[in-house]
Amino acid sequence: MSNGEHIRLEELELFALGALPEAEAAALQAHVSGCGECTMKLAEARGHAALLAFAAKQDKPAGTIKAELMARIRANREAEERYAWPVKTEERGGGQAGRKAEAKRSWLTWVLVPAAVVLALVSFLLSWQNRRITAELDREHKEAEALIHDREEIEKLVGVLAAPDTVTVKLAGMGDAANANGVVKFNAKAGVVLYAADLPKLPADKSYQIWLIPESGAPISAGLLGPGGHAWGRMWTGEVPANTQAKAFAVTIEPVGGMAQPTGPKVLLGAT
Amino acid sequence: MSTQGATGEATTDWTLLARIGQKDEEALSALYDRYSGLVFSEAKRILRDAGAAEEILQDLFYQIWRTSQRFDPARGSLAGWLLVAARNRAISKLRRKNTVSDELDENGVTLGFDVESHAAQNLLLDKVREVIRNLPENQREALECAYFEGMSHTEIAEKTGQPLGTVKTRIRSAMESLKKVLR
Repeated sequence: MSNGEHIRLEELELFALGALPEAEAAALQAHVSGCGECTMKLAEARGHAALLAFAAKQDKPAGTIKAELMARIRANREAEERYAWPVKTEERGGGQAGRKAEAKRSWLTWVLVPAAVVLALVSFLLSWQNRRITAELDREHKEAEALIHDREEIEKLVGVLAAPDTVTVKLAGMGDAANANGVVKFNAKAGVVLYAADLPKLPADKSYQIWLIPESGAPISAGLLGPGGHAWGRMWTGEVPANTQAKAFAVTIEPVGGMAQPTGPKVLLGAT
Repeated sequence: MSTQGATGEATTDWTLLARIGQKDEEALSALYDRYSGLVFSEAKRILRDAGAAEEILQDLFYQIWRTSQRFDPARGSLAGWLLVAARNRAISKLRRKNTVSDELDENGVTLGFDVESHAAQNLLLDKVREVIRNLPENQREALECAYFEGMSHTEIAEKTGQPLGTVKTRIRSAMESLKKVLR
């Protein structure tokens, strides 16, 4: 295989093309991993082989793939930001220590005044501190609830995307939203996830509403998307009754708060 | 090796990658617009399945978003890595192998050509297609079996009924012709 110490470019090109049998490829890889010159030549050989990529008939991926990618990185980014280490706790601890020190200094300042005045002041300080701590606990409790809600949303999303029997339904834009597109990931047990891109911005009194159209019977609301359109697309999670079989999905424009049955124009539609 | 970006600035791949490292979504979008067609077309040619090719495409760009700081210009071309990684993943999927390695440490790629603009890509597409079109049929078959079907030269020899040495010679001759587009 090698000519002297190094491997010939022709052999490296066969390797880069994937044309070497596994045993030969493994031997070549073992040499290259310890040889700087052959590593450089292999990078060059890979570049030659990559020219073949230009022999493929050129096509464009569906527009929804980019929207899904951007929604995916945004979800990842938001999750990282939301679950960042909470440094505020330390800052608050330092603040309490500071307040205690201040309270001590205040007490020393008043040590010479009549005992009744001191007792009244201490009583007032304790009461004030108690109210502050109670308010902080309330706030932290609300923040914890919000984090739990966010985590549940992400778990729901992951549950739908990761389930092996989740189906993908591509939605096409219609009417005034002809340029919009979307993808529904639907799992009869885990729920619905919708990525939608390029939906027009709605007036404040309107919302997008997603509908599951079952094999038989009336459409079932899978949730509201909220007002506004977004160039990169957005992602929503929704719920439908367990084990509902879907024939199609649609998105319509409805009054804020949603409707029990669709009344407005369809903007996205796709069959399973 | 630069093109006009969406903002009118000249943006190389590495400039975009540096911005992606700062979590700039517009930069990822620009990089996607630059290479998604090439990557998707290559994976689709191998798999003959648009959905599977789109999955590979999205995963590669998601990897770039998550690990942009690991890409090192000293190891070669970002476009080259994308094309090689897309090919490796598609072949693994085609042949149902689970071992895919497209780490840059192992897959540095040096491209001897400019692909950072669609004009440059179109020029190269024309040149490569002309070379492939003019190859003798048996050379083209051997090259495409290796690159697009992941067949080793022994498998190609079995498929075509030709001696192994003949298959190797055909692949090497075809590669020599292909490399002429770089001159």
